[in-house]
Amino acid sequence: MSGNGLVQILDGNTFVVSDANGDIEASLTDPTGLFSFDTRFLSRWVLTIDGQNLTALSTDDLHYFETRFFLVPGTGTVYVDSQLSVIRRRAVGDGFHEELTILNHQDEPVELKVRIDAASDFADLFEVKDALKKKGAYSAKIEDGLVLGYKRDTFTRSTHISSSVPARIDKKGLSFDVKIQPHGEWKTELDVATAFLVWGTRKRTKYAGSNREGKSRMEGNLERWLDGAPRVECDWEPLKATYQRSLVDLAALRFSPPIAGGRALPAAGLPWFMTMFGRDSIFTSLQALPFTPELAATTLHALGDWQGTRIDDFRDEDPGRILHEMRYGELPAFEERPHSPYFGTADATPLYVVLLDEYERWTGDTKLVRELEREARAALNWIDEYADLLGNGYIAYKRRNEETGLENQCWKDSWDSISDREGRIPGFPRATCELQGYAYDAKVRGARLARTIWKDNSFADRLEREAADLKRRFNRDFWVEKGDYFALALDQDGKQVDALTSNIGHLLWSGIVDKSKAKAVAQHLLGPRLFSGWGVRTLAEGEGRYNPIGYHVGTVWPFDNSFIAWGLRNYGFKEEAARIAAGILDAAEFFEGRLPEAFGGYERSVTRYPVQYPTACSPQAWSTGTPLLLLRTMLGLDPLEGHLIVDPALPAGIGHLELLDIPGRWGRIDAYGRGREQNGRRTGLRQQLGAYEPTGKHRRQRA
Amino acid sequence: MTSATTEFFDELGSRGHEPMLEKTTGTVRFDLTNGKRTERWFVSIDKGDISVSHRNAAADCTVRARKDVFEGVATGEVNAMASVLRGTIAVEGDTLLVVLFQRLFPAPGEQS
Repeated sequence: MSGNGLVQILDGNTFVVSDANGDIEASLTDPTGLFSFDTRFLSRWVLTIDGQNLTALSTDDLHYFETRFFLVPGTGTVYVDSQLSVIRRRAVGDGFHEELTILNHQDEPVELKVRIDAASDFADLFEVKDALKKKGAYSAKIEDGLVLGYKRDTFTRSTHISSSVPARIDKKGLSFDVKIQPHGEWKTELDVATAFLVWGTRKRTKYAGSNREGKSRMEGNLERWLDGAPRVECDWEPLKATYQRSLVDLAALRFSPPIAGGRALPAAGLPWFMTMFGRDSIFTSLQALPFTPELAATTLHALGDWQGTRIDDFRDEDPGRILHEMRYGELPAFEERPHSPYFGTADATPLYVVLLDEYERWTGDTKLVRELEREARAALNWIDEYADLLGNGYIAYKRRNEETGLENQCWKDSWDSISDREGRIPGFPRATCELQGYAYDAKVRGARLARTIWKDNSFADRLEREAADLKRRFNRDFWVEKGDYFALALDQDGKQVDALTSNIGHLLWSGIVDKSKAKAVAQHLLGPRLFSGWGVRTLAEGEGRYNPIGYHVGTVWPFDNSFIAWGLRNYGFKEEAARIAAGILDAAEFFEGRLPEAFGGYERSVTRYPVQYPTACSPQAWSTGTPLLLLRTMLGLDPLEGHLIVDPALPAGIGHLELLDIPGRWGRIDAYGRGREQNGRRTGLRQQLGAYEPTGKHRRQRA
Repeated sequence: MTSATTEFFDELGSRGHEPMLEKTTGTVRFDLTNGKRTERWFVSIDKGDISVSHRNAAADCTVRARKDVFEGVATGEVNAMASVLRGTIAVEGDTLLVVLFQRLFPAPGEQS
């Protein structure tokens, strides 16, 4: 898990970010350290030998939860023929465990002063991001180890550091006087445990023995995860590697909220978003449904348990609303941030119903749909009762927490993401188009659940009527006549915010687009202003705010593209969906199978490689889920009354594709797809799917 | 003068049934301390059917707080979840019960 030269390892929401030596030397704004439950428990962890820092020879990520650092003493640039080797093997799992080994390669014994400096600033993740000052008091105590503490009123956190080999302990670290025989070794096991009040219960994490048990548990867990997932067979090798990478990363992104009884849901991203997010957890669960449907079940349970029940302006909470983000650190605890949990999202609530229906279509788990009837009805009620801020029958958003709430409560949540063609930014409330699509889909799907599972025909009829009415009004009010596409939003006066954006692809996914308008939408998505050759840009080239490296105003988001591909398939645009899959999968290969959150919107023929957008989180859950959803769209998988429909449309360059052991209401089933071209004909050329000549009117210059 | 806490639990007990807890079965005991005195509220939930007493018995989930803190929760002035994160309210046992139960606390500015 390397990014920015830093090494990250994690387990759940506990993670360590260090330099290549394994050292942590954090400042308030620096994102290194040991973090757990959104609090930094170690901000300093520096190993020296005879007062000297060490130099890394190599760093191996053994698993996502374990790293090994090979080091030699000294920091000089001149190569030293070192007579000592130092190995730090570190595993995360509720704190971390570090095995420190020093090897003496000489014929003489050596005496060394080994020192580990340790300290913690107990910063809240929000403080690390925003550079805020602490308000509580620190302590350092020497007990059976070193105990670092922080206390602000009743809020306490502590870090417990201990060593298997007795150490001289002071308030700033641990010292060892070490003597190693010729060609001998010295070893100690260091434990760093975190203690905090979670749910008011004092929890102190501690490894049993040497941590072998915990480690093999995690290895076994990863193996079971990989064994349980469908297998991919394909003549285009990079896809297999990308798929494997996605599965491992998705395993790393699993997060068990304290209330989920050990079951896991996808967190949003590593390392800063290892928590429950309504939108991200739902989208990722949707992408992963044909592969690991249990993630969706946990997401539905956990988000349902936390569903809003009252009107709370600070948290932007309403009855029926699905949460945006949950945090456990000091700032939410003292209500200096609203994330306990925060509800400021306008899409998670309709998407909750969409996920519930899609989950049942795949798994046939009617029991869960009955269990969550109340939550689903409350979510459907929220759409009309609380989200129609303008009284015009559309979901709109405007934060009530003016200080720390979110301005843009849609997935494009940066400040300048919503603008018209001239680049003007509208006021609030804003009714973005994709929200109306999700609302439509939620009503249609809610009607199906009401009719078939809740046995409430009048509710189903009502939802269907409302959906039909919404679709009719939407196709009238959002349609930009002059451009033949749907406006990005309606502003507070109900006027169109008319930029051309990728959001129109989500409209295809939701089904709200009139058949007569679908072709124009598809042509825009694959047209030169939106399609870069790698994928669909968030904002079309030529719009006022277009910037190929602007966060939501020109970059290409893999997750966005996976749902656009799904939407294109829903309206029968198979070839177009395959072209998007080809572009994104080609890009994935450049990122060694790990798609970033976003990459530059530059024309493919100009840069020839996807330009990464600098982001804090990698892997990002819904980017990780993207190749999974693209496998679904390429094979045309769709459940229908107990059967799985397979209707493949593969990108040029893939000769055959098999997805084996797909779990679902049918048990396990295999899907096969055959392409028009066999692979391997262009020997000597790097195989890129999107570099093949597309056919038809979308023909473009080849790079 | 009755406290907001008493009003909250009395009202809950008189409701008899709470649709928001229809999937929930379990017991929650609230130990509210005021100096040396401990005021106990024992809430038993059976698929949404609620009974409230002062029983001092083991529960699936125990919530401990100072009485004055809980008064704030009962009026909606204090957010229960933030209090738990802060450590002013302690929860032991089945934490899911308290996540579901907190749905019943009033909103800020909405006196119970």
